[in-house]
Amino acid sequence: MIELRNVTKNFSNGVDALLGVTLHIGKEEFIFLVGPSGAGKTTLMKMLYREEVPSAGQVVVDRINVTKLNEDQIPYLRRNIGVVFQDYKLLLRRTVYENVAFALQVTGAARSQIRRRTMQALELVGMMKRAKSFPSELSGGEKQKTCIARAIVNTPPILLADEPTGNLDPQTSWDIMELLDKINRRKTTVVVATHNKNIVDGMKKRVVAIEGGRIVRDQQLGMYNHDE
Amino acid sequence: MINSWGCIITMSSVSNFEFFLVEAIRGVFRSPLMSFVAIGIVTVTLTIFGFFLLGVVNLGNIVSDMGAKLDITSYVNQDLTAHEAADLQIRLSKIDGVELVNYYSKNDSWKDFKEDYAGKLDLEDVILENPLPNTFAIKVRNPEVLPLVAASISKIKIIDEVRYSGKLINQVQHLVDAVRIGGFILVLLLFFATLLIVVNTIRLTVLAREADIYIMKLVGATSSFVRWPFVIEGILIGIAGGIISVLILRSSYETLAFKIGSAFPFLPVVTDSFLLTVIFAAVGIAGSILGMIGGYISVSKLLKNA
Repeated sequence: MIELRNVTKNFSNGVDALLGVTLHIGKEEFIFLVGPSGAGKTTLMKMLYREEVPSAGQVVVDRINVTKLNEDQIPYLRRNIGVVFQDYKLLLRRTVYENVAFALQVTGAARSQIRRRTMQALELVGMMKRAKSFPSELSGGEKQKTCIARAIVNTPPILLADEPTGNLDPQTSWDIMELLDKINRRKTTVVVATHNKNIVDGMKKRVVAIEGGRIVRDQQLGMYNHDE
Repeated sequence: MINSWGCIITMSSVSNFEFFLVEAIRGVFRSPLMSFVAIGIVTVTLTIFGFFLLGVVNLGNIVSDMGAKLDITSYVNQDLTAHEAADLQIRLSKIDGVELVNYYSKNDSWKDFKEDYAGKLDLEDVILENPLPNTFAIKVRNPEVLPLVAASISKIKIIDEVRYSGKLINQVQHLVDAVRIGGFILVLLLFFATLLIVVNTIRLTVLAREADIYIMKLVGATSSFVRWPFVIEGILIGIAGGIISVLILRSSYETLAFKIGSAFPFLPVVTDSFLLTVIFAAVGIAGSILGMIGGYISVSKLLKNA
């Protein structure tokens, strides 16, 4: 489903974010990307939805070479990859419903379809009762659930979550992870970049550790730290 | 339409247009102060533009009027029967560019002349025979054709002399050209100056939503999808500014035209309601076009960086 072939990313400020990274993520897999801040996790994620382009190497998503997409094709890639952000990136002047519906509106979907699928997504994440609320009226967990609903409303085959529990308390973090696990069980490939040791250790999924822009460990049913 | 991932994309342009329109109206009311400032600036610049346009049209009208008052006088010394005079009058009126031909027979002219000088000068004692020629006063459609019409009249054998104010015509003609070309260039410059102001004003409202545009792009919005609401918002701001500026222009022009007409009755102030409607419509349309271009340029700059 996702393949990185010898991917290197050098930023113009001299920072080498990724160095020769090769990684294969299969269909319907759930994997954790772990590593210290600045290890290259976010850069790797951004390459999957073409917010960054590699300096060298290839990024293939669902058999499409993402590095070769032109500007006009990028929106169509992004409609097939749901992204959950640490800072939620919600449209502040729109309600929960409108934020989720927006991801469908951009596809040109019919109004009835938008309504039905938005309701389904909100139901799945348990946000139906807050549909008319604005982001400023939500807790961190609710904002993240809204962000997840927006990410899955197009039923994308891939869901990326970059530090989804970074701003949440432990209990809410578990709620979010259970939600991501539920989405994975619905045949969606899920990639989660996180610092949260308890969650990684508790979920027992595949763990890919990155340090200094290189993959230093790739372990099935892995733990946050190598020696545990 | 099926995309490269095999998902069905149902296109619903009607639903999208409704969405864009609602988004644009929301955009106007989302930051009311910013929209108010934008509409205000559009109104001021369009009003200046409109006044300038009215000024150019009036100046052109004054110059044309001056030209229209210039005519050609042709003289025929030999006696003409009423029939011959009527034939010649018809022949002259058929010349290209001629609007009106008036005939004054030598007898009528002599009679008028004597009446004008009655009591001041007893001409009967000095002049025994009528010395005046038969006169044809010819009005032309516009001053540009004067030399050509005069040349055509000169070719008619029976006509002894053709008079028109050639030098004055040239000066009037140069003035007409200067007003037309200069006015066109100035209107064009003012249009672009207005566009620059409108672009930068709408850009302020767009910049306030830079983060929103970035998020929209992240969830898969195409550039045109992001752009449309801003373009429509620009049109709405332009239309609002256009309507207000037309109202200002109309009321102040009516007052001004009345005052100028009273103070300087000889000045031909444009009061033709059709022409004025065209000018006001042009200002209103210019407002919506400026708003549309302004919205397009403003958001395009931002989309490049998003």
